[in-house]
Amino acid sequence: MTARTRKRLYQTVGACFTAAAFLSVYTPIAVILALSVNDSLKAYAWEGFTLRWYADLFATDVMHDPIMNTLLVAILATLIATVLGTFFAIGIHALDKTRRTRMMVLNNVPVVNPEIVTGISLLIVFSLLGFTLGFHTVLIAHVFFGVPYVVLSVMPRLKKLDPNLYEAALDLGCTRFSAVLRAIVPNVATGILAGALMAFTMSIDDFVITYFTSGSEYMNVSTWLYAAIGRSRSFTPAAYAYNAIIFLFTIAAIIFINSRKEKKEREVRR
Amino acid sequence: MRRLRRYAIPFVAWMAVFIVVPTLILLFLSFSDYSLYDGGPFAFTFARFEIFAAPLVLTAIGNSVALAGATTAACFLIGYPVALYLSHLPEKTGKILMSLLIVPLWSNMLLRIVAWEKVFTPDSFFTDLTGLSIDLLGSKTAILVGMVAMYLPFMVFPIYSVLEKLDRGLVEAARDLGADDAQVFLRVIFPLSAGGVLSGVIMTLLPALTSFVLPARLGLGRVPLIGNVIESKLMKEVLGSSGRSINEGALVSLSLMVLSIVLYILATRFDREGETLL
Repeated sequence: MTARTRKRLYQTVGACFTAAAFLSVYTPIAVILALSVNDSLKAYAWEGFTLRWYADLFATDVMHDPIMNTLLVAILATLIATVLGTFFAIGIHALDKTRRTRMMVLNNVPVVNPEIVTGISLLIVFSLLGFTLGFHTVLIAHVFFGVPYVVLSVMPRLKKLDPNLYEAALDLGCTRFSAVLRAIVPNVATGILAGALMAFTMSIDDFVITYFTSGSEYMNVSTWLYAAIGRSRSFTPAAYAYNAIIFLFTIAAIIFINSRKEKKEREVRR
Repeated sequence: MRRLRRYAIPFVAWMAVFIVVPTLILLFLSFSDYSLYDGGPFAFTFARFEIFAAPLVLTAIGNSVALAGATTAACFLIGYPVALYLSHLPEKTGKILMSLLIVPLWSNMLLRIVAWEKVFTPDSFFTDLTGLSIDLLGSKTAILVGMVAMYLPFMVFPIYSVLEKLDRGLVEAARDLGADDAQVFLRVIFPLSAGGVLSGVIMTLLPALTSFVLPARLGLGRVPLIGNVIESKLMKEVLGSSGRSINEGALVSLSLMVLSIVLYILATRFDREGETLL
């Protein structure tokens, strides 16, 4: 076999594996998209095309509360986790190497811990503190698991930062706090943004941790679905429509980001 | 710069409240009779460990290890070639395909599981659309396929990130020194990507080991996993039935926590500050 045929063989095999990976990951998505336009309440069979589930989603309140709860918690938790995580990262970065490594291990415990263990741990803390489970406990829980992702994505940016920048800002008359805000934060902004995005995605799709920390009254989309499946083994197909909208939105966002990147690159080349 | 250390103080306090305290409580519950809800006298005991001898729990541990192990192996065997292939594509194409592989993770996990239920039910909605009638619901195969599809992106992404940054010069150097394809792969590419493989394994193995909705739905409850045991133990007591089942749930959770931390410490040997996880 010549080098060239070998290379072609590797490429074919790689392409086949990639196709298989896409097939397995996208099968449920295709089913969800199809169910969102299927004219059947129980979804046992394909009964024709409809957009009424999308209409239901916007015009009725079939899923109003869970969606609003999900969005509110995701937005608030992301904001709080981003601010906390950024300051924590700056603090950890300023430590000496041994302590920094120790702090990063601590930081990564919630990231590697199985969600079910995190959920139980939080449930224990909340029952110990005597908190009633509901919006507040879910919010705290989501902030809790968002912070480590922010720290993780801000840290590499901080390492690349010139350590003299902060001192220079102080010499130029900044107070300590405004030196952080003006000299450090803008320079690690991409890391902060990436962390915020991670925290948001973890929050908006969370099931396990919300399930353990929300009690029986308060529901986000995932726990609402879980309760609906358990109770009557079915739920309104508006849920598929909601998911389809989120999916199409993320695809659009990726295309938008990539085309903007390309545009920028072209401008730079010119 | 050193003054900024004080920002780490609230971090320690925050982590202490939400990680150290509950871990200590899990430890306390695992070795005692004390009830989190009724209080009661405290007595040190190893009785909770009897749960590991219960037939249901043994079956669950066996199922979890087998299914999570098979899932991780399958994800690795499919995911590594995918990551390698994507890393050899032109950078932009590779990045776009990688992000397209991650996008499905934004879809609701429960809905994706329900979608697999439709796929694995014979004469269903899925049959109407594709002509395929698959009867797998309630089997281990169904759980395995569902898990692989769910966790595969978590395996591909970290491996891809490492391979994409790999210095191509090293590969060429190895070839110049006379290495054939297999040697280049086994002695240069694979060892250099080991960190990515390890975080991929952690990101796949642990969630698969502890998942409880997916096995309950796709296995129709016939194939209990550790996650199902913890959930039922915990929820029983939270929902007010008596007993010390939460202590048993605590012990099982604690064991999982120890396992995940051991795996994580292994991973840090490859990357001292644990940034491979992203």
